[in-house]
Amino acid sequence: MREKILQFNFWKYCFIIPLGILFSIRANASSHREAPLISADPLADNTDLYAFRSPDKPNTVTIIANYIPFELPEGGPNYYTFGSDVHYEIHIKNKANTPADDITYRFTFKTVDEDSSTFFNIRLGKQNLKTTYTCEKSVAGGAFVAIVTNGVVPPPNIGPRSIDNGTVGLGQDYNAIMSNAIATATTSERVFCGPVDDPFFVDLAGAFDAGNFRPDGNSTNAPKDGLARFNCHTIALQIPISLLQKDGKTADQAENILDPDFVIGVWASASRMQIKTLNDDGAYSTSGPWVQVSRLGMPLTNEAVIPVGKKDEWNTKTPYSSNDLAFASYFKNPELALYMDDSKFGGAVPSLNALRIQSSSLGSFDFRNGHAGLYTLKGNAALDGTALSDAAYGTILLPDNASPRAVDLLPIFYTGVPNVKPYQLATGKNGNPLAEGKPFINNFLPTLGDMLRLNMAVPPTPRNSADFSSLGIVKAAVLGLTDSRFNGSTAIQDIPNMDGFPNGRRLEDDVTTIELQAVSGVALAAIGLWYDDYSGSGSPVTPQLVNVLSFSAGVTHNDTTFKAAFPYEQTPWRGYDHTTQPRF
Amino acid sequence: MKKILNLFLVALVCLAFNQTNVFASSHREAPLISNDPLADNTDLYAFRSPCDTNKIVLIANYIPFEHPAGGPNWYTFGSDIRYEIHIKNKTSTSGDDIIYRFMFNSINEDGTTFFNIRLGKQNLKTTYKLMRSTDGGANFSTIVNNGIVPPPNIGPRSIENGVVGLGASDYNSLAESAITTASTGEKVFCGPIDDPFFVDLGGAFDVGGFRKTGRDGLAKFNCHSIVIEVPVSTLQKDGKTTSQAANILDPDFVIGVYASASRQKITTFDTTGTGASGGASGAWVQVSRLGMPLTNEAVIPVGWKDKWNATSPTNDLQFASYFKNPELALYMDDSQFGGAVPGLASLRIQSSSLGAFDFRNGHKGLWPLKGSPAVAGTALDDAVFGNILLPDSVSPRAVDLLPIFYTGVPNVIPYQLATGKGGNPLAAGKPFINNFLPTLGDMLRLNMAVPPTPRNSADFSSLGIVQAAVLGLTDARFNTSTDIQDIPNMDGFPNGRRLEDDVTTIELQAVSGVALAAIGLWYDDYNGTGSPVTTDLVNVLSFNAGVTHNDTTFKSCFPYVQDPWRGFVGNSFSGTLPVTWVYFVANKSVKQVKLNWQVANQVNNDRYEIERGFDGSRFTKIGAVVSDNTLSSSYTFTDVAPSFTQANYYRIKEVDKDGKSSYSPIRKISFSEEGSIVLSPNPAHNILQVNAPGLNNLQVFIYDFAGRKVSSSMLTNGNGVISVSSFAKGLYTVIVESNRRKIMSGKVVVQ
Repeated sequence: MREKILQFNFWKYCFIIPLGILFSIRANASSHREAPLISADPLADNTDLYAFRSPDKPNTVTIIANYIPFELPEGGPNYYTFGSDVHYEIHIKNKANTPADDITYRFTFKTVDEDSSTFFNIRLGKQNLKTTYTCEKSVAGGAFVAIVTNGVVPPPNIGPRSIDNGTVGLGQDYNAIMSNAIATATTSERVFCGPVDDPFFVDLAGAFDAGNFRPDGNSTNAPKDGLARFNCHTIALQIPISLLQKDGKTADQAENILDPDFVIGVWASASRMQIKTLNDDGAYSTSGPWVQVSRLGMPLTNEAVIPVGKKDEWNTKTPYSSNDLAFASYFKNPELALYMDDSKFGGAVPSLNALRIQSSSLGSFDFRNGHAGLYTLKGNAALDGTALSDAAYGTILLPDNASPRAVDLLPIFYTGVPNVKPYQLATGKNGNPLAEGKPFINNFLPTLGDMLRLNMAVPPTPRNSADFSSLGIVKAAVLGLTDSRFNGSTAIQDIPNMDGFPNGRRLEDDVTTIELQAVSGVALAAIGLWYDDYSGSGSPVTPQLVNVLSFSAGVTHNDTTFKAAFPYEQTPWRGYDHTTQPRF
Repeated sequence: MKKILNLFLVALVCLAFNQTNVFASSHREAPLISNDPLADNTDLYAFRSPCDTNKIVLIANYIPFEHPAGGPNWYTFGSDIRYEIHIKNKTSTSGDDIIYRFMFNSINEDGTTFFNIRLGKQNLKTTYKLMRSTDGGANFSTIVNNGIVPPPNIGPRSIENGVVGLGASDYNSLAESAITTASTGEKVFCGPIDDPFFVDLGGAFDVGGFRKTGRDGLAKFNCHSIVIEVPVSTLQKDGKTTSQAANILDPDFVIGVYASASRQKITTFDTTGTGASGGASGAWVQVSRLGMPLTNEAVIPVGWKDKWNATSPTNDLQFASYFKNPELALYMDDSQFGGAVPGLASLRIQSSSLGAFDFRNGHKGLWPLKGSPAVAGTALDDAVFGNILLPDSVSPRAVDLLPIFYTGVPNVIPYQLATGKGGNPLAAGKPFINNFLPTLGDMLRLNMAVPPTPRNSADFSSLGIVQAAVLGLTDARFNTSTDIQDIPNMDGFPNGRRLEDDVTTIELQAVSGVALAAIGLWYDDYNGTGSPVTTDLVNVLSFNAGVTHNDTTFKSCFPYVQDPWRGFVGNSFSGTLPVTWVYFVANKSVKQVKLNWQVANQVNNDRYEIERGFDGSRFTKIGAVVSDNTLSSSYTFTDVAPSFTQANYYRIKEVDKDGKSSYSPIRKISFSEEGSIVLSPNPAHNILQVNAPGLNNLQVFIYDFAGRKVSSSMLTNGNGVISVSSFAKGLYTVIVESNRRKIMSGKVVVQ
């Protein structure tokens, strides 16, 4: 026993000793470092995470984690594949009272060359860099157990000679290869790992040229999907709800469609071993403990919320142990809000003219950065029985008089939004935002960390429904406020798109637009904290609100369709002859 | 001291016992450099400057497939990488004769934003230090300090805008001002550029799916470039200028060039992401190298690519078999896989040149001549160059491809054009190349004495030496003597490499035996008489790999490469969406018509002109309202004199300050019975009938006194019945919308 302890300490010591004692180490400190690290490590770069109730199999939830950005469909001869030295993981929480993952899926990949005598990737039925995977699962922090072994990763979709041609290539249909690669785990999840059309869409050039957005439909300059015709590598899981729900319940057993026991939080990550040693012959070895190098929960957090100086640090953290509280200030007073505020840089970003944060909602509340927001109500009896009373949720939502967005953006990203006053639609509130209103969301899982939170009890909106909208919960709120099917009572109703972002994230959801609308205060408006131009009488759907609702970040949909069934994402673009579309 | 020793021991044990995964060549991931774009050397160019002919331009490019809009963390050189350009100018030394080493450093000027450039500040702002060694790498001296790498060409707001961006006059001015001169006289530029390479990636790597009209897989991508322009006298082994060359093929003017990227042996990830730990340490290890183009893409097979990248050209003989019997040759040979690669059908290697010589893989080539009197005194004589060129009876391409890549080609029999040879390839012919520097390693070799071909010359060709050979064989200006002449494009690939050179086509032609043909080892269909420019040769010469030029121009002078593609192209949207008509309604009000409209996106807007007509197509202005110039507003206008006998049609013309205009939808108001919407009965009991003759697809909403919507229905054909039986007694508002715009509202009493 004593020996074992000693051994344990010894290993601990190994990781603590700085290798700098042995070698001269060139540390790239945060103020003097290269491009944020993960940009230089595409294989481990987690690009997107989706979690939605499956529209065709509503008793399951689909979780998709994507990696490797900007895969050129014709990017040969060494086409892209998953890294063999990377741990790709999907982390799920379903309880707030446990300290770490309640379920973890870990994917590891292995690559072989079937014919290393050629420079081609595929030739004469043989494939190089042919990749297989193992999926392991850990429940409640227990040991990892393999649930898929020798899973098949489809080859790159190079072209007709490599794929379809039976003499020089593989002699198969790509879609057949793709469907055949869907595995069923021993624990009954369906799994797919492989190249797909990158389902994300955003006008990169518009967004990042100091905010040069080109809204959909403008006649000056049409938006360009910066991810059009690029592929990425996906890890897709379709999981029975009963495996995800903390007590093993199915959706049928939910008390109602906002049952708080059906909330899960999801995040994905990539990790590498801490030490990489290059050999002189072109090979290399890795050693040491696994270090997280990329993570993703809510979309765009690390693109457009976390500033450059903190991005690398963000990537190394788990959302647990209150780690993320160190970044909370970027949500309470987000940089993007500066560009929707005429007292700051609003005038310098004309493309966001349509978005102006409430500076005098209901004549009194100022949500612009640095202002008091709802803090002026702190301690007021009017807050009793609402989420804003310290007795209910502590001081998270109203921490001080200079954190206006701790009341909306912070919970959207860090805790989920409870079905509690004031987080109900204004419908039925009769002008008082603190009154009881119409429920529209409950994805509350208060772990105080960035995760994609989904209430699995909310029914999926059929993708062919006239009500289906890529604006997700924003659209659900609009319907709940203005549509006579839903705005006649405060009853819980299945409003279309309540299963959309930020209640989980569907492939179709236009998260860039939704997040910009959210930063401009649309969630506040939805619960009755109307825009400045609402006079207190008449329709609260004022011109400012209309401007926000009709704003788009530019590209509002993917550059191709989605499949109707798992894995939903589309076949990767074919290198030889994919159609083209401007990317910038 | 003892403590340090103890730590040392523990650390050693740790290194030995930690779990280690090795990614060796037989079980490894994707070839490694594909996963390390910052260190990925994509192309190398070396040419005599057409702009300043006393100088040589060396260009090494890195970081493939840079998306011009690839933000927010745009690409830049790695701070932990040694980027080097290596030059040999003598064979008597064992290592590099000159090394240029570039080291980069990036800082964030404003770490509080997620933007790369904001308010005049730039993040990931990169500078560099250039060091030079002229003693084989033993000593380096710094010749550029604090060199500037221009920012990414993000877009007009980041670059030109003086408030939110850098306020530059244009991007090109940033690129030009980044050009610097080293203390030793070299001109230097490091920064993002248009990737000058062009190739049909999608075709080439789909098992050789070459096509006539290929698609440039690198079009509209950027890369990062290191460009240096070096005086010939700095590069020439004895410090000579070109005017001191004995002739334009003076062997003393040959240099060999390769570029590389190296990382330190051990990388330790920073577990905090803050730079507090982690870093790189240990000896520098070469992870990427490039001399001749496409060697590691299309010559070295997958199993050896990583090793090739780690190897110095001094150790290249281990890869020589891939040049002596190249894989690509299998696809130009009907006895192998020729039939399976129709994209290369016009390229067929000589199997019976001059009725005797078979250069297909595994065949003898010129081996039958080994030791014969015919080769005495030629390059093929073992006494002259040893047995490199004719090593054995199964290495047919050791005689052409191997020297092109490994030694350069000497101006010695048989490596002269067939012109003047009188049918004997082993006779003296017309000189066309001499870039011989026999180090037995892959380098880009350039004879600096060869004059540059003006880029605007009618003779300039992207086929380089292949075109020079064609001119020397067929053009009356050059094919009448065996004199050394300045044939256009003798300064082209593989004598160095110009930005314009179509190296993919040239190399495929070379694999199919075009160099052999040029020196008189004609294609199979030459019967010994008549023109040797046979159908087979014409097929080879007219072949191309699908993309023959870059997707943009080059600059005429330093740095020759073009500015990077801009991420944001075109005009900025500035809120001037054409005015969005939120609603426009017309309502009867006693003997007048009240028009109400609301607009969003009201920017740069001057006034609203109200127009009325009576037939729905011809309109007359009846008034105007000045815009209040807020982003969105509501307006009212009253028509005090509508027609009571015919229908009134209204529309609003929105006029911008710049004179542009747009129209609202049209609304119709009729004071006569016909064409108006009738709600009946009123008061209503169980049902409310809506009559709207001539109007289809109307949405009818009923609101109670408190403003709550209590009913919503669709009228498809102008008539409908709405049940009000469940309604509480009281006053209701009925709103009728067409195409989501209110066209009528009325009050109904339910009893």
